[in-house]
Amino acid sequence: MSQRKKVLLKVIILGDSGVGKTSLMNQYVNKKFSTSYKATIGADFLTKELLIDDRTVTLQLWDTAGQERFQSLGVAFYRGADCCVLVYDVTTPKSFDTLDSWRDEFLIQASPRDPESFPFVVLGNKTDVGEERRAVSAKKAGQWCQSNGKQMPYFETSAKDNLNVEQAFEVIARQALAQEESEDFGDGGFGGDVLDVNGMMERENSSCAC
Amino acid sequence: MLKNKLKIPDKTRKPFPDRLGSLVIGFDYRDGENVGSDVALEFGEELETIQPKGFGSDREFEEPDGGVEAECVQEEVLTGGGAAAAAAGETEFRARQRPGREGSGHVSVLEVIAADEKRSDVEYELSQEEINLEKLQRIASKGLPDEGGLRATTWKLLLGYLPPSRNLWQKELSENRLKYAKLKGDLLISPSEFARRKILGFGPCETEAGSDVDGPLRRHQISQEDHPLSLGKASVWNQYFENTEVAEQIDRDLQRTHPDMKFFSGETVISRRHREAMRNILLLFAKLNPAIRYVQGMNEVLAPIYYVFSTDPNEQNAANAEADSFSCFVRLLGDSVDHFCQQLDNSSVGILSTLSRLSELLKTNDEELWRHLEFTTRVEPQFYAFRWITLLLTQEFSFQSILRIWDSLLGNPFGVQDMLLRVCCAMLLCMKSRLLSGDFIANLKLLQHYPDINIEHLLQMPF
Repeated sequence: MSQRKKVLLKVIILGDSGVGKTSLMNQYVNKKFSTSYKATIGADFLTKELLIDDRTVTLQLWDTAGQERFQSLGVAFYRGADCCVLVYDVTTPKSFDTLDSWRDEFLIQASPRDPESFPFVVLGNKTDVGEERRAVSAKKAGQWCQSNGKQMPYFETSAKDNLNVEQAFEVIARQALAQEESEDFGDGGFGGDVLDVNGMMERENSSCAC
Repeated sequence: MLKNKLKIPDKTRKPFPDRLGSLVIGFDYRDGENVGSDVALEFGEELETIQPKGFGSDREFEEPDGGVEAECVQEEVLTGGGAAAAAAGETEFRARQRPGREGSGHVSVLEVIAADEKRSDVEYELSQEEINLEKLQRIASKGLPDEGGLRATTWKLLLGYLPPSRNLWQKELSENRLKYAKLKGDLLISPSEFARRKILGFGPCETEAGSDVDGPLRRHQISQEDHPLSLGKASVWNQYFENTEVAEQIDRDLQRTHPDMKFFSGETVISRRHREAMRNILLLFAKLNPAIRYVQGMNEVLAPIYYVFSTDPNEQNAANAEADSFSCFVRLLGDSVDHFCQQLDNSSVGILSTLSRLSELLKTNDEELWRHLEFTTRVEPQFYAFRWITLLLTQEFSFQSILRIWDSLLGNPFGVQDMLLRVCCAMLLCMKSRLLSGDFIANLKLLQHYPDINIEHLLQMPF
């Protein structure tokens, strides 16, 4: 088991501006919380090594910009992803409502071989603000996660109080690992040569025909 | 020869692409034309139309024929020995103490003398009846003094906001400040009104859509489909929501602008006032440029300008920092506004095209490093230089360093974007040895969190 090659897992974090994507990443990777992160422009990159069932895996975490303007540039960041994390802010209904479009946009741009089975994990952040300011109920979020075909794992987190962050990322890592392994059986989920778009489409077509 | 070099290439005046024809700033009438300077924009123009030039020309990085001595050195450094020098210099300069940054750091007598000389050079140039912009560009490129409001005045001249004739300054300034006040009155709701709405926390109401004569929606945003029940894109209701969204996004980002500086952040009266002024500027820009609106990061581009102008010891200038910053912000963006526009991402003037130009520049100057970065380790320029370029390096360095880098960007006779790409390329060359020994992860982390280096050394490379 331990003789296996080093595993690199690519994880993309998406969600509206200000929901706490950068804070979650930094809490998980650096065990730090700050109220003064700058807005993310383009995408920030962090890594974290962890042990999953005796296997050392390296998570490559891509913290993306939340503003719509940056979405069209996402393709460079999304391709080759093993798991996509959708983050909303439990105090901002709109950030929950946009999860649909974040998921769709990801699937279009990353175009994984099997969109139905591609792993998403949903995080409702900022639970530290208290129930009186909560605007999206856990029930509603849970329903959304279920209504999307395969059940999406769902966590309510607080990057500020470091609540559920570690647990959520462990599930994220497991989902990504499972995805990576399922791709190994197939022909590489996204095609081998990321620069060769046409070649990638052909491969995808041929694998669909099998 | 220098005269020729200073001519801004025609592309500067290339009209904006049709589909973004809405990128129009304010006033319908033209004035202040034919001032006769060679700067990119005529005085007063930023209040009419922004003139993004894109970056189309092949000539972008051509060295001018037989440049001055300094440029020969530059060429040598960039094309030949630069990389080695950079690699060698990297460690050397890291160890060196930098005056200014730490404040109490040791400053040698020579440095004091050099600073004095620099200061008197700028003061002399600025005291002339007719400012020699070529000279001013050369002086600025070496770094402007922090004191005496010299940087504020110089930047205004370099951006073409102040005309070269000193005796026109007062008149032009008062005219432009008046125009700004009028524009603001026409397009921005008052802060108290804004606050009232926030407190009430309401959606659109009758006054908003119907009777608010001075409101932005009636004057500039309402189109054919403005029936309240219309769900069309151009409906006033839709735009109301969009405007609110823009304002909220701007507020969120202003809270996050240089959070380490009291000038911008925290809940003091002063920092709140600064944020309010910056919000006015960004909101006004967004309203006047519906095709672009507000894009995250514009706050960072505005910050140095607004800081420099509002810390001008001249009280009148400081009091009018908002108006002056607006105009200069528009002028500065005129050079690179296409980078903020999603629709242009894949065009020859969009950000992706500029990123590939950086890639070409690196390839020309150091093919080994280029190959290692982009093929061996697959670190695409988009992963790190997207932010470098769209934000004019404002998130990569300390504030003091940003001001110094901008002196060079604004002082470049070939334009801000030309210099910006050279500095970006120099940033890569400066890290050559580390990059060559790094893998994807190490290299991407290094470039996304660019180390504290000696800025003077960095800026000498592209010359």
